[in-house]
Amino acid sequence: MTPDQIPQTGGYMVAAYIVTAVILLAYTIVLWRRGSAKTKS
Amino acid sequence: MVVDLLRHAWLVARKDLYLEFRSRTAITSALVFTALVLVVFEHGRDPTAVATIDLAPSILWVTFSFAGMLTLNRAFNAELENQALDGLLLAPISRTSLFWGKLVANLAFVAVVQIAGLLLFTLFFNVPVWRVWAPLVAVMILATVGFIAVGTLFSAMVVRTRFAELMLPVLLLPFLLPPLIAAVEVTAKLLGGRPLSEVAGWFRLLAAFDVTFVTLATLLFPATVTE
Amino acid sequence: MTLVRSGRWITGIALLLVAGVYVRALVYTPVEIHQGLAQKIYYVHVPSAWSAMLAMGMVGLASILFLFLKDPRYDRFASASAEVGTAFSLVMLTTGPLWARPIWNTWWTWDARLTLTLMLFFLFVGYQVLRGAVTDPGLRARYAAVVGICGMVLLPFIHLSVYLFRTLHPMPIVLKPSKPSLPGSMLVTLLLSVGVFTLLYVGFVMQRYAIGERSDDA
Repeated sequence: MTPDQIPQTGGYMVAAYIVTAVILLAYTIVLWRRGSAKTKS
Repeated sequence: MVVDLLRHAWLVARKDLYLEFRSRTAITSALVFTALVLVVFEHGRDPTAVATIDLAPSILWVTFSFAGMLTLNRAFNAELENQALDGLLLAPISRTSLFWGKLVANLAFVAVVQIAGLLLFTLFFNVPVWRVWAPLVAVMILATVGFIAVGTLFSAMVVRTRFAELMLPVLLLPFLLPPLIAAVEVTAKLLGGRPLSEVAGWFRLLAAFDVTFVTLATLLFPATVTE
Repeated sequence: MTLVRSGRWITGIALLLVAGVYVRALVYTPVEIHQGLAQKIYYVHVPSAWSAMLAMGMVGLASILFLFLKDPRYDRFASASAEVGTAFSLVMLTTGPLWARPIWNTWWTWDARLTLTLMLFFLFVGYQVLRGAVTDPGLRARYAAVVGICGMVLLPFIHLSVYLFRTLHPMPIVLKPSKPSLPGSMLVTLLLSVGVFTLLYVGFVMQRYAIGERSDDA
């Protein structure tokens, strides 16, 4: 198949990769902050 | 030993059934609710827009699910008052008998409500139930047993938590959906006149689910009431 | 080194490796001709699903050990694994529909596997809600263990369901009786990603366990 016959689905890929990164980084930050808290969190 | 187990289980079940038979509150509300739900669905649909047979399986199983949840809510509520649960635990019966007794009582209640629901359903909705009544009853039993087993186990726990009525559906949802979806698929195929071979796979899943979770619930129940 | 610090190190390394996997998947892995670029979602979707299932498996295992050995550390571990599992199942449930939409032209379908993976998410949530609703630590641990074990046992139904029913979800091409049928380069990317996501799971759980230890409130 030539390149223009392959379905143009790049947008979804970008969205998925960004969402994954956001969720994983957000959770990392959450854990970091709770790990640093002096008192019961 | 096994005979004792069964005998004690039957005693527990019988106690629940007698209690309910005398007051009839839970069964009555479940039956009324079932009838209400069916009437609402019956009036809500437009027969010219959607064929009854397309909606029928969903309506039937929504009704059965609600009835099941109502039954489970009642399961350990009676024991909450006057610390009757402690009394039951002190009795010289095994935890397993207690669980099976509760399970049998719950299944009996749900069965009554489901049979009544099915009859009302055929009355209101004019779908060809009688041709396939045997596999239909089979799927009703199979789909209900596994779910009620897990439900009985969980209701023993949530009865002591805050927001008990809210906790039970939340916890039970993952265990309700698989048998429910299987049940709706099978019912749809049966009412649609499909050959039994098409639903064999679903039956296998339901059977596996039931065996697994009844066994598991039996094994885990003691952990919920041990001090 | 404390558990928190080692957990942070491992998480940090894992995240760097995730970035590396991103580069490999996006730039150095061939494009699949039938699905286009969206097929590359596979390299984050499948490993996150794997981590979510791993997390639930660990919750179940720890729960069984807790019920038998009565050691609260197992309960604490189960609690940590459940929270981490929630994060991974969130990734799984967002990347799944993003992959489904261009391929099957629908965001969601109630086929057996998708439904059961959604239920996995609800299990994690329900487990944690239950923990929040019970005040007595001993009771909380036992109740959580019961739910955790039931949740873990639900998992085989997830994998098997794909075999029992012809569904829209791709039939397993890696974990199946015959050899994996994924082309070489793609298989490598996938396996690397799975390994990295597993490491990330470990890092997350270590930190979360340490937090539970410190607050003693699991």
